Amino acid sequence: MTLKERFMKRLIGGGTDFVPVGSTCAYGMVELMQRCGYERPLADTDPVAMAALSLAGHQYAGFEWVKAMGWDITSLSHAMGCSLGEPAIDLPYYIKTHPFEDRIEALDCPADLTERGRFPAFRRQFELIRQSVGNELAVFGMSEGPFTCAANLVGTEKLMKMTIRETAKVQAAMDVTVAAMIKAVNFAFENGADYYCIADPTSGTDLMSPRTWKQIMLPAMKKIVAEARGPIVLHICGNADMIVKMMCESGVAGISIEEKTNLEAAVETAHSMGVKVFGNVSSSDTLFLGTPEQCRAESLKALEAGVDFLAPGCGIAPLTPLENVLQMKEARDEFLPAATRP
Amino acid sequence: MSSKEELLQKLHDTVVAFDEEGTRQAAEEIVSGGHDPLDAVMNGLAYGMETVGRLFKEQEYFVPEVLLCADALNAGMAVLKPHIPSSGGDNSLGRVVIGTIQGDVHDIGKNLVKLMLDVGGFTVHDLGNNVPYESFIEEQERTGAEIIGISAMLTTTMMGMKKVIELAKKKDPRIAVMIGGAPVTPNVVKLFKADGYAQSASTVVAEAKRLMGAFCPAQ
Repeated sequence: MTLKERFMKRLIGGGTDFVPVGSTCAYGMVELMQRCGYERPLADTDPVAMAALSLAGHQYAGFEWVKAMGWDITSLSHAMGCSLGEPAIDLPYYIKTHPFEDRIEALDCPADLTERGRFPAFRRQFELIRQSVGNELAVFGMSEGPFTCAANLVGTEKLMKMTIRETAKVQAAMDVTVAAMIKAVNFAFENGADYYCIADPTSGTDLMSPRTWKQIMLPAMKKIVAEARGPIVLHICGNADMIVKMMCESGVAGISIEEKTNLEAAVETAHSMGVKVFGNVSSSDTLFLGTPEQCRAESLKALEAGVDFLAPGCGIAPLTPLENVLQMKEARDEFLPAATRP
Repeated sequence: MSSKEELLQKLHDTVVAFDEEGTRQAAEEIVSGGHDPLDAVMNGLAYGMETVGRLFKEQEYFVPEVLLCADALNAGMAVLKPHIPSSGGDNSLGRVVIGTIQGDVHDIGKNLVKLMLDVGGFTVHDLGNNVPYESFIEEQERTGAEIIGISAMLTTTMMGMKKVIELAKKKDPRIAVMIGGAPVTPNVVKLFKADGYAQSASTVVAEAKRLMGAFCPAQ
């Protein structure tokens, strides 16, 4: 069985006793850029550089699946009108303007969405990755989720207040971003993605209440999952304890959570609903700032808690030491019986 | 006409219920009734925000509710503030320079912290978001602030806080630096050698008071 077959069997098939190791969020690490010879901003915009950095995750960090579609979560918002701040080698693109701040009613899903922004470069990136990995490795696409995208377009503070006072307007804006999301997701599947990760940090409970999540995010996610031509993984930052069940109810194949979420409880809930769990080695505390020993120990803890895919809890910080990231694979190999290792 | 106690309670209740218009009306009644506007700020508006902080801590309220409560509080403040006579001196608990670190434009958390500190009796100098490292130090020097507060939402920008802490301590070790934001944990605080940390806006005033007690003011 190839790594891709094993990965997909674990995500949507009958399951295996093999725990793949990798990242379902961004891994735009400076050390990987230096190893593959392509640094930002080229690694954010040029398909050859983007594909090389995607593959560097497998070649140098030991990841058993690879990512397409950039190293930040701005691409959908950018294609819909947000302008971006200039990246540096250790700073990804970030949202600079909220073009619909005073005209939420004008929000619209462009017919040519996947011809805008970096989408044409993503198309070529998928092509290059597929040429290199064939059917050996699973490839995923990723972007910001529908609420985060709406918050980028309208302004987070403004949209947050509107969730209470002007719910109908928020729903209307979400209808637009959900439509855009479906286009982006299916763009990825048409171009060879095996699954798609939706990252929606702005809908995490650090900002949004579980009741609002139920009212606004849950129906949005259900619609996206229903229209997607492949499996979806939902990533939420921070402590997701109060929404794990709803995340699973949305119909996704997997959820991705941070170390602030109770992993044992999340695994129990997710597994009872047939959903897989990615995570949850701390991106900041452990991988970025910790020692290799701490990275290894936290990886083992996640494996013992029953994680299905061993991965960082969130995007890997650019200046994270590669040695730390490699400990995830070391720990996985130590944890699994030799016969099940790739 | 409502009594002073009734009006104070109304200020509290309307802030908690994020009833902006109700808060404004109660504040106007305070003024037209000849009641002490400073008393109304402290025992009406600030008291309401204290309740909001508790509800936030108990996860009854989340960020959207707190933002709307803050709008109600500000509506009341706009009415009352012009009627508060200046004491002629600085009677605040301390001065804080605050901002979101360079490269980071997220400022909801920072704005809530600012509000809590403001209501809690501190004088806050807000530098906004995407603040260059040196600007924190320059503003501290300009204002004589005892505390610098830095916010970061992203792991990618968090490292900048360490640089500001180093710059501040080099200038004067008595300047207290507190940090916060989504990627900041007690471990990060230790590694960056920050003096203070608030996990959320609800605990920031207590932490700032602790720092004021622990550090000599950098006059």
